[in-house]
Amino acid sequence: MNDMRILERDVDTNTIKIAARGVQVYYGDNHAIKDVDVDIQDKTVTAFIGPSGCGKSTFLRCLNRMNDTIDICRVQGDIHIDGEDIYDKRVDPVQLRAKVGMVFQKPNPFPKSIYDNVAYGPRIHGLAKNKAELDEIVENALRRAAIWNEVKDRLTAPGTGLSGGQQQRLCIARAVATEPEVLLMDEPCSALDPIATAQVEELIDELRQNYSVVIVTHSMQQAARVSQKTAFFHLGNLVEYGETGNIFTNPEDPRTESYITGRIG
Amino acid sequence: MALGLTGYVVLAIILLTVAAFFMARSRAKSTAGGDIRLLHSLPNYYGYNAAMFAAVPAFGVLMIWLLAQPMIIENSVFKLIPERIVSEGSSRGLVMSDVRRVAEGLDIAVAQGALTDDEADNIRTEFKDVRSILGSVGVALGSNVEPEVLYAAQQYRAKTETGTFWMSVAVVTLAALGAALAIFVTNADFRARNTVERGALALLILAASLAILTTVGIVLSMLFESINFFRLHPWTDFFFGGSWAPNFRGDSDLSILPLLWGTLYISVIALLVAVPIGLFAAIYLSEYAGPKTRSAAKPLLEILAGIPTIVYGLFALLTVGPALVSIFGRGEAGLLGVDWMSGATAVLTAGLVMGIMLIPFVSSLSDDIINAVPQSMRDGSFGLGATHSETIRQVVLPAALPGIVGAVLLAASRAIGETMIVVLGAGAIAKFSLNPLEAMTTITTRIVSQLTGDTDFASPETLVAFALGLTLFVLTLGLNVLALYIVRKYREQYE
Repeated sequence: MNDMRILERDVDTNTIKIAARGVQVYYGDNHAIKDVDVDIQDKTVTAFIGPSGCGKSTFLRCLNRMNDTIDICRVQGDIHIDGEDIYDKRVDPVQLRAKVGMVFQKPNPFPKSIYDNVAYGPRIHGLAKNKAELDEIVENALRRAAIWNEVKDRLTAPGTGLSGGQQQRLCIARAVATEPEVLLMDEPCSALDPIATAQVEELIDELRQNYSVVIVTHSMQQAARVSQKTAFFHLGNLVEYGETGNIFTNPEDPRTESYITGRIG
Repeated sequence: MALGLTGYVVLAIILLTVAAFFMARSRAKSTAGGDIRLLHSLPNYYGYNAAMFAAVPAFGVLMIWLLAQPMIIENSVFKLIPERIVSEGSSRGLVMSDVRRVAEGLDIAVAQGALTDDEADNIRTEFKDVRSILGSVGVALGSNVEPEVLYAAQQYRAKTETGTFWMSVAVVTLAALGAALAIFVTNADFRARNTVERGALALLILAASLAILTTVGIVLSMLFESINFFRLHPWTDFFFGGSWAPNFRGDSDLSILPLLWGTLYISVIALLVAVPIGLFAAIYLSEYAGPKTRSAAKPLLEILAGIPTIVYGLFALLTVGPALVSIFGRGEAGLLGVDWMSGATAVLTAGLVMGIMLIPFVSSLSDDIINAVPQSMRDGSFGLGATHSETIRQVVLPAALPGIVGAVLLAASRAIGETMIVVLGAGAIAKFSLNPLEAMTTITTRIVSQLTGDTDFASPETLVAFALGLTLFVLTLGLNVLALYIVRKYREQYE
């Protein structure tokens, strides 16, 4: 759409990383996403809020073509990442997902050691030339996910043995290890206690230095705390999208106001 | 056919039960003054309660009586038979079966009118040819009836008749008492619902314990016969001997080792066939196949599990064996031009066919286990940019591995215990050999051959079957326990 922007990315923090135009998603006969247009900026945390079933997770899963794994799901419209149409036939969804990492609602560490969990992505994508490099990638990823100090002495222990908050940070480390450009987070804190949530939120803020982060959340406080931009979804429509501060203090649409003040949802 | 006295007793209990049901129900209603909301339980529960009290103790006593009466009567009648006849008739069991046969013959003769009841009670061999009378009503006897045997048979009849009479009285009284008690306690406050609940619980416990007790019984009977075997045959030969050469004139070599070797060899080949094919089929069906393919292919695959094993045996003997011979045998005329295989029965034949039989076991168990791996694991892997097969190989299979190992162990215990395929496909020669194209034999086939035909249950050659069976049982039980342990440990991880 606007290919020139790729060149500007490094200089302009307002570069648009992901541009979606006229996105429609159907689950069988169910029209789940209705004509959504949105521009997501680089090095920014964008929050998707809205009541359950409004389509925010579905839209998030369109951004790395995770919906391809669901048979009955059809996606129409254009989604461009760095100006490249990700639904183009030439795009390999597997490569795309390496570039657009994802963290899920429930921590889902693989039944492997902590080390192998983090090394999983780099290994399948051949990111490390040798063992020493792989060790470095794993350590860096664990450090960036703020869990290195807790696990450095037990990297061979199973990832499933960690606490819920640790598991979720391990999953973030796992996503970070493949050097993605965009990080999608689908309610990453909904299964965590407040302390673990605080740790993950702090982490999200740090990740903003390097990535464009998109987070789906049910907690409006969380959206207000961690995001710079907020999009409000309702019944499959993108109702309002703008600066987080504006959305929460001065919403334009009455539906947004009703939702953030707790009258609908 | 006319009902015997026992038949009338059963009928009487059923009638009492039905009557108790309706009487208790109507009594419950009337104590509540017609307003069933005042009752503790629904009216039917009072009926069920009364029916339960009428039927359960009565039927219980009836069953115990029917089992115990013949034993008690036989013991008392047996004392009437002098030693002389026992020694001529070779054993007390044989004489007693003569007595029972004569008693039955007299019953039939009375029923057909060849004798009156009085005549049957007082007939003497001195005055009448009992053998020909009984012969005329279709009961053929091997020899002339001894007077003592006839007397014992008459006593047997008389005691059975008295016993059955008292049994009828006792059982019907019990049913009536039970019904009366239940109806008597029926009133609006009686907690019939809770009593029925306890009855239902007792029924379920009974069913569960019957299954367990049967298993215990089977094991015990095998154990006793095995102990008999080890009294007659040295256990060192059985467990550590090197050859299997049963000889019905005695002095046989009865070692389990060559049989165990054949069993394990065939099972390993079967698993080498079944595990990869079954596992890959399961992966395809659970991970790749669409819902339509899955709903068609899964039942088709499971049809394999429904084919009787004797049919697999025929398949081995008539199709697979000759096909293998045409590949590996027949010298120049064969496909490979070699002459390694002479007959259709071979370890490979049985192993291949048994492998085919096991495919649905492995695939359907593995399929369930792969489906139990949470979708979030797959999503996590896909989200990192892994392909489908990478995800399966590196995430799904490791997560499902304990369960798959359990499935393989269950298949292995099926393979070890399998009989018909090896009877037809494996051959009958017990030996240690590594050549899969030779005929070998297994534990199960030897059990079959030791017990078929005219057998004498006192010789070690026959009793060895029980020792073999017990060993097999211990082996498969061990595998099953191990498999269930592994599967259960795995399940706890995700629930």
